Amino acid sequence: MPNINTGDTSHNFDAIVIGSGISGGWAAKEFTEKGLKTLVLERGRDVKHLKDYPTTSMMPWEFKHRGQLTQQQKEDNPVVSKCYAFKEDALHFFVKDKEHPYVQDKPFDWIRGYQVGGKSLLWARQTQRWSNYDFEGPARDGFAVDWPIRYEDLAPWYSYVEKFAGISGNKDNLPGLPDGEFLPPMDLTKVEAYFKDFVGKNYTDRHVIYGRCAHVTQPQEIHKQQGRMQCQKRDLCQRGCPFGGYFSSNASTIPWAEKTGNLTLKPDSVVHSIIYDAQKGKATGVRVIDAKTKATTEYFAPVIFVNAAAINTNIILLNSTSDRFPNGMGNDNGLLGKYFAFHNYRAVITGKYEGLLEYTTDGKRPTSAYIPRFRNLVKQETDFLRGYAAGFHAMRPSYSKPDGFGEQLKDSLHKKELGPWSVGSHMMGETIPKEQSRIFLDKDQKDEWGIPLLHTDIGYDDNDEKMVKDFFEQMTEMYTKAGFTDLKTRDSKQAPGLDIHEMGGVRMGHDPKTSLLNKWNQLHLVKNVFVTDGACMTSTSTQNPSLTYMALTARAVDYAVKEMKKGNI
Amino acid sequence: MLVSRRTVLKQVLFVSAGLAILPSCLHEKKPPEYKVKNIDLTTDEEATLISLADVMIPNGDKPGARQVAADNYAMTLMDDCYSKADQEKFKTGLQAFQKEWKKGDTAFLKKMEETAPDASPASAFYHTYKDLLIQGYTGSEYYLTKVFPYELVPGRFHGSVLVNKG
Repeated sequence: MPNINTGDTSHNFDAIVIGSGISGGWAAKEFTEKGLKTLVLERGRDVKHLKDYPTTSMMPWEFKHRGQLTQQQKEDNPVVSKCYAFKEDALHFFVKDKEHPYVQDKPFDWIRGYQVGGKSLLWARQTQRWSNYDFEGPARDGFAVDWPIRYEDLAPWYSYVEKFAGISGNKDNLPGLPDGEFLPPMDLTKVEAYFKDFVGKNYTDRHVIYGRCAHVTQPQEIHKQQGRMQCQKRDLCQRGCPFGGYFSSNASTIPWAEKTGNLTLKPDSVVHSIIYDAQKGKATGVRVIDAKTKATTEYFAPVIFVNAAAINTNIILLNSTSDRFPNGMGNDNGLLGKYFAFHNYRAVITGKYEGLLEYTTDGKRPTSAYIPRFRNLVKQETDFLRGYAAGFHAMRPSYSKPDGFGEQLKDSLHKKELGPWSVGSHMMGETIPKEQSRIFLDKDQKDEWGIPLLHTDIGYDDNDEKMVKDFFEQMTEMYTKAGFTDLKTRDSKQAPGLDIHEMGGVRMGHDPKTSLLNKWNQLHLVKNVFVTDGACMTSTSTQNPSLTYMALTARAVDYAVKEMKKGNI
Repeated sequence: MLVSRRTVLKQVLFVSAGLAILPSCLHEKKPPEYKVKNIDLTTDEEATLISLADVMIPNGDKPGARQVAADNYAMTLMDDCYSKADQEKFKTGLQAFQKEWKKGDTAFLKKMEETAPDASPASAFYHTYKDLLIQGYTGSEYYLTKVFPYELVPGRFHGSVLVNKG
């Protein structure tokens, strides 16, 4: 039987945060800074900044397979091995398929990082703000439900998290992509700058900008206090950065929370469910399974933040059943796990540019250029809803000609030639959350920790197909006009999930009948439970979502603590 | 690459029987042991891989394929990172290649070089092995420190630099 330690004061805290990834780390920082004794539960192992980045300083030849996966690793991990960062230098930061099974009713590539820091160690670090074109999207275009917040609600919190995290960017003055608190940008390449200029002159509604990213390009006092240094442009971020050059929970929020003396961090703690007390009408704590011993423990706090990453947050709430909530916590309307969405990353275009060949680049850069959404931004103008953003890069690869054999080959390997500029864009499309796009729990099958297995039932729709087609058409037109040649378009047909931007299931909204969370990310029906990770998202927009999770988290903690002081929680 | 004295002795014994039919350049070489688990290599086949590596990127003022263990890398990759089907194709191709290679006709390699990888089993082997040797060579410590030094900590990115005509 489970070892339940009720009443033990060491199991009582002022706040519990489930998850230590990008949003959980922020919740931990905010609560501990405000003086609350905070328990952070992480289902994976501990990963300490610097100490637990085993590959961070390895040279390429020190990897047995020079970075490649083995056949065994590929066969054992059909899902996660599709992820671009699941390579020999970083595979220790990813969940292996076999260890955490789930059921794909429709194909869904669920990419996970179970460790302290979660996927904040692995993210692509792009940090673009949302605008009101995004927050007003569902209301204007008649899908999902209206967001209960607007840009003005979040703007000060964007600023707040940007200053701490360190965001490199340009002030671009674009209504669809509000400016933030920026550290200096890194360079665009000569051809990126050319394309930016070209698009600016030839289109009124389209822009190419420097991709804003969470890299400390010029450390401020606040970054020095975190022990973080200037980004050294290694472009090896997925290994964990010894300089703290990019923002992660491990380098930033978790050690910051630890310094307050108010943090208790428990790795290897799998949250089974949230405990509901019907008499008090609120949640009282969480039930935790030790990842290794499988022993059950309970922890208690007056406020609980669920930041387990979008899907796991849904699982925890669905599994938090009681007489009052037989279908999952706060789920009277039956919408928990529904209206799940993601970003459409299927489309890629590549090409060459034979101009500006007198220029090249020097050094490395962990970001690229960005094309903010232009389709249907101000008004509806196509036969599909919403739009897409795109990355843009132009680099000049050098290569050796592998001609012949013997001395001829050896000589050519000792020379390098510069090729033409290689250009490319990938699509980041908004998808429409729909009731039938859902995740749910299996009725019988459970995992090793006694938690029901997840089912995924999420797919593309006609809107997504039209958007892929439009991306190819518009990008081909822009590339062709700019003089790029040898254009190749590719629809990867990749399953949802591989974008690693899964969102929704516990959406925010005005009305408890049609949403789970209110405008403060508080469960409508259980006021001391908050969700501020990807699960809370009402719609997906096109921007990489992490910055918005950070801002929502800081805002929600601020509100929760004020409500606690007022005695409302 | 470190090879124990005992291993070397063992390999010398294994290989000596086949030496008569091998290209003469091999006589003084100490063959390395390819620690492969999934590919069954005969002494003869190992000798072919060694001699081809030596011919592909020969030793000289600058090290050759085997001096930077590019052949070991090639076989590690083939052993660990390729599917069973690819490994079998490699082995079959190696055998077909070996038949011609043993005749010692230098025109044979030129022919392989001009043949598309999918033209024959021998050609598939040749091109796969060559690619792996190049990967091993250009990813070696020698190459990434002495030829085109790899920068672990560049600390800079300049987006617009004039190409140095030199």
